[in-house]
Amino acid sequence: MTPPPDALDDTPDEALLVLYANGDPTAARVLARRLTPRVLGYAARLLGGDRAEAEDVAQEAMLRLWRIAPDWRQGEAQVTTWLYRVVTNLCTDRLRSRTRRGTMPLEDAPEVADGAAGAEAGLIEADRAAALQAALAHLPDRQRQAVVLRHIEGLTNPEIAKVMEIGVEAVESLTARGKRALAALLAGRQPELGYEEG
Amino acid sequence: MQDSDLDDLLAAARADRPTPSPALMARVIADADRLQPRPALRAAPAARSRPGFLAVLAEAFGGRGALAGMAAATLAGVWVGAAQPAAFSVLTAGVWPTESVSVELIPDLFAVLDPEG
Repeated sequence: MTPPPDALDDTPDEALLVLYANGDPTAARVLARRLTPRVLGYAARLLGGDRAEAEDVAQEAMLRLWRIAPDWRQGEAQVTTWLYRVVTNLCTDRLRSRTRRGTMPLEDAPEVADGAAGAEAGLIEADRAAALQAALAHLPDRQRQAVVLRHIEGLTNPEIAKVMEIGVEAVESLTARGKRALAALLAGRQPELGYEEG
Repeated sequence: MQDSDLDDLLAAARADRPTPSPALMARVIADADRLQPRPALRAAPAARSRPGFLAVLAEAFGGRGALAGMAAATLAGVWVGAAQPAAFSVLTAGVWPTESVSVELIPDLFAVLDPEG
């Protein structure tokens, strides 16, 4: 059941944050509803699909947003840009400590069902999603971030540059290399994923 | 893999955003409520070049809002102390339903305060 429409539903993120900092009782709810899915989705992509860890990161990122609300300087940055940056850094830390602990999970795509069953649209979709996630997990961190931000989260290159704190040209280079790497990783799997070999 | 196929995969991924669990949303909202700044009281008049006594006191307590809270708490304490025992026991009966005993910590306070004895 969808919640009733909120009077604040059309209010921009930044205005909601300022309202929250000034004691408004519903602004945080609208912001949370709007932003938590994006934060969760991005974190999940960076963390190789680990849903539990992505939830931890999402909660931490939103918590940091609530904390910074009273000090938020209006007009300086977009709330989403700031959040994406926080999630990027949180995920980088988690991935680094995974490597240190020697428990780097390589998310293997599940075995594709054989011929007849695999032709079902639903299974194909799930296989494709898993294959993409597995390929993303094999990319170097920075390429994965750039590709996800550009091609899944839909940010522009200048926005990605602000998130990743690099230049726009560096973003373009990372996304191009990342896409090439993905294509190479997925090469040879086209038939099982329902694509023509090419 | 052809570009178009990869774009296809990426487009599907865009459409496939996970839905946060109700538990996660509840935690996020709980954090927001816990961390929400309490509304500040009306700001004092424009600061003079030298901070007044109240401003200095406010700094010690962490701001005018906190000082106002302290003042309110102090006044409440004075009220509780000065109120008739019956009124106080009504308050405590709301908290735990036993007979409350009032103890005079400083017996005959006014006698002590009165230097004439």
